[in-house]
Amino acid sequence: MTQDGITQDPEAFGAWLARQLRRKGMSQSELAAKLDVTRAAVSAWITGRAMPRIEKIQAIEEVLGLAAGASVTRDEAPESSGFIRWQYRPAHIDGGRELGNAAAFAFDSSLAVTAREAAQNSLDERFHPDRSVRVRFTLHEISGERLRRFQEAILWDDLVPHIKAAGDTSQKVGRVLANGLRELGENGTLLLLRIDDYNAHGLTGPEYDDGRFAAVVRRQLDSHKKGTAGGSFGLGKATVWGASQFGLVIMNSTLSEPFEGRRERRVIGRIDLPWHKLDGEEYAGPAWLGEPDPTRGEAAARSWWATERTVQELYLARESSDPGTSFLIVGAYDPAGEATTLEKLHATLVQALATNFWASMVSTEGTAPPLEASVVALRNGDVVVPEERVNPHRYEPARSRALRAFLEGKTIKREGDADVRITNADDVVEVAVTLRVPRRKTEAKGDPIEHRAVLLVTPTTDSDERANHVVGMRGTRMTVLDRTVSRLPFGAVPFQAVLLAGTATGRDLDEDARAEEFLRAAEPPEHNAWKATEDLTTTYARGAATRLRDFLGEVYAEVRRVVTPSERAASDDGPPAVLRELMGLHPTPPPRRPGYPTVRSVTGELNDEGAWRLRVEIRLPEERRDPWFLRPILRFATRSGPKPEARWAKLVAESHCEVSGDVLICDPNERVAVFAGVSDVSSHPVPAHMAMAEVDVVQAKDGGR
Amino acid sequence: MRRIAPYPVLADEVTLTVHEVRLDDVPLPYESTVSERDRRIALHLVGKDWSTVRLVLRAAAPRHELEAGPWKKAAFVATASERRTNVHTAVKLDWGGPAEWVGEVELHRDDHVDRVLISGHLVATVDDVEGRVIADVARPWTVDLQANSPTPRDEIAVRWADFAKVPQLKRHEESPWTVSVTDEAPILYLNSGFEGLRAVLTGTKASDRPARELLASQIAVSLWTTLFNEAIRHVEGTDWPDGWRGMALRRMLPDVFPERSPDDALREVGRGTTAPDLPTRVLHAAIKQAKAPRSLANFIRSLQKTGSEDR
Repeated sequence: MTQDGITQDPEAFGAWLARQLRRKGMSQSELAAKLDVTRAAVSAWITGRAMPRIEKIQAIEEVLGLAAGASVTRDEAPESSGFIRWQYRPAHIDGGRELGNAAAFAFDSSLAVTAREAAQNSLDERFHPDRSVRVRFTLHEISGERLRRFQEAILWDDLVPHIKAAGDTSQKVGRVLANGLRELGENGTLLLLRIDDYNAHGLTGPEYDDGRFAAVVRRQLDSHKKGTAGGSFGLGKATVWGASQFGLVIMNSTLSEPFEGRRERRVIGRIDLPWHKLDGEEYAGPAWLGEPDPTRGEAAARSWWATERTVQELYLARESSDPGTSFLIVGAYDPAGEATTLEKLHATLVQALATNFWASMVSTEGTAPPLEASVVALRNGDVVVPEERVNPHRYEPARSRALRAFLEGKTIKREGDADVRITNADDVVEVAVTLRVPRRKTEAKGDPIEHRAVLLVTPTTDSDERANHVVGMRGTRMTVLDRTVSRLPFGAVPFQAVLLAGTATGRDLDEDARAEEFLRAAEPPEHNAWKATEDLTTTYARGAATRLRDFLGEVYAEVRRVVTPSERAASDDGPPAVLRELMGLHPTPPPRRPGYPTVRSVTGELNDEGAWRLRVEIRLPEERRDPWFLRPILRFATRSGPKPEARWAKLVAESHCEVSGDVLICDPNERVAVFAGVSDVSSHPVPAHMAMAEVDVVQAKDGGR
Repeated sequence: MRRIAPYPVLADEVTLTVHEVRLDDVPLPYESTVSERDRRIALHLVGKDWSTVRLVLRAAAPRHELEAGPWKKAAFVATASERRTNVHTAVKLDWGGPAEWVGEVELHRDDHVDRVLISGHLVATVDDVEGRVIADVARPWTVDLQANSPTPRDEIAVRWADFAKVPQLKRHEESPWTVSVTDEAPILYLNSGFEGLRAVLTGTKASDRPARELLASQIAVSLWTTLFNEAIRHVEGTDWPDGWRGMALRRMLPDVFPERSPDDALREVGRGTTAPDLPTRVLHAAIKQAKAPRSLANFIRSLQKTGSEDR
């Protein structure tokens, strides 16, 4: 430590000195010789074990040709960006070729998946536990000079020959690259998708060794995650590169813990191209934008500490000094091909965030939710779709209400075997469901651990198109399980159910942590189910799959139980309204146009012998092809009892019918048939003048057919 | 059916109204006892044992037609009759003004059990023959001894019961519903022990409505089939059976034999129809009563709507 305290941090000085030597291409021994110190002294400075005295620092500045005091401010030389270039990894010496990123193929790629994975990573990297992780998605379409300036900043012209060489249209990745270049050429526009997180750890750690930086920038399939993290495969980051047509992402990170004594504007770019050959040289594919690092061989590039101006040119200026990372996806697109306009891309991102992270965005009175997310769309700096902060209550009202009630302790809990049912539209019923976590194979023995997951059920509206689902989550409350509950009892209210398992229960119990690990092992890379994955069956003792199945079966059963409408106690509460109208005995009004022949008119009088001479008109219904066989009936009216019939002495057809015995055969094409009849006096039960008479027609039984 | 008289009769009919109902000389509240619209009188005599009911009646004939016609000594005879007890009473009413008659009809508790028809005839001397009927009552009245409301008992009773716990229904324990018939009334029993039945039938959720209505109409199909088969066993000759059986037949027969008039259809049934397709015809009529085509169509449409993609 120097007495005047110009520098407090030997480590930062060491990193600075190492960087300056790299840039000059000067070795530690050469510097030692020029300063007349031992090589061991220089090494001690560089590794941060010791600080040079003030006069040595001035000598160093002189040797390196830097302004006096440069080591104090540790300003990078103004020409700093001049050191930046794309460093391409040479092809494997064994001739192996990678024609795509295997991790990127593990997903059905889409912009929605990218949003989910990126936000999940941010959530896993939450820095200050009492504050939200803030994730901001910015879609920015640029063109014209703005585009050109950006291309200059990322050394685009250096990349293009490589992209062209890699754009082999016979391969999936190559087709996307070629298409990206073609679109850029045709439209003259480039879409940038920037994903920022704040209050996250940022890309901390050394350039090459284990740490967040190396996990994201250097490695495939390294999740660098522990505990409750959503991802456990390290696949998520591949989807970020997958959202770029060129596989090109530039990062600017503000670190939560300093590296090389610095925190702000750690910048590096990476492009994931497939194997390609250019000017006789073979390249493995990936390349990094950064400072060449001769100490690692010709292809390595390190991150650099960029100036504010540089990050602005890169569209990566961060809006606060809060730690976190900004990813700039260059040539962003929706791999699913669904969203094409800025408006649609915006909507896709909002929907994906709402669907996957509504639970992480639900807050309670006075506490910050784990996650805040927003999406904005710009074109050449002008707002196209204003910034929308994703509101979980807007997109998932029932589920958000259920979770908030749980967080605020306002659920209706079922204790023991008590029968708890939903009765009000905003009731949230809470039921415990037990997951028996078996021992790990590495543990010699031990009983399964009982974890009590929390199941929340609440009614939703009739118009909820995704009603009757149960969504399951653990850890940071990203939606993992999303299933329709089948075999619902009839009359069940439409509902939404939320299952909080593992540490998502927020109780900080040992069982919860064990269940968390168990369920994480049960998640496939897509994080969309809990099932008997290979990870699960290899990690846990026999019966793990059964335990999981029992657990989920119990969840569905509990949901069904809760939503079953309660049978009212009253044993006789009258006929259900729905039956009533089908059970009426009251007479129906006679049809205006009956489907059977009717007597329309009867006129006549008694003749001298006391016989009725009658003229009868019969109305015939429509829509019939067969002739009507009708028997006219003459009855004497009585006050009660059967009415005695009289016989006809004579029947004469008058129109549209013919007489056959005592049957009239009427023409079905006519509407009226007329006949005349004379009664047989000998069949009169009483003299005809003493009684009223009735004339009717009935179907002749066999109709003479 | 058309009527013809061998002597002059009125073209119009007589209006009969009930002005007061007295139960053992105590007037009953008119509003809750008499329904003019339905021409019914309900004797819902809570816990009271009675012996006689008097109805104060007024009959009115078309005055001008009556005075202009050839009729002499016109008089009104009120009648009270009940099919089940075969009791017929006739009372000549007093002159109450031109073409109007007033008087009382007395019903004795011992003579009646169920429904009494109150009607009458306008009689006169025509061509020197006395007491000939020249007009009938347009809309007769019914005194219902069982009803507790003057609006007609025109619905089949429905009761919830846990079949397993009711001895008479134990036999049908596994059935979701059953129909019981007595002379008084048929009763549809719904099995409250059948899980979910009540939830389906009494639910109010709009989205469950197609299924609810489908089930209701299925119940109704079996109900009406049962009622019809039970009712036709009581048809004799050309008379409509009493009570619910007659009502059920009047609703069903027009659909069982659509090409026959109701009376003709009843006659066909009464003489033991030989129509080989009777069960098919009854099923058709029951389906129509139960509005099954409509509810099934709605149900199928709802399946098409909800059976969409699901993940």
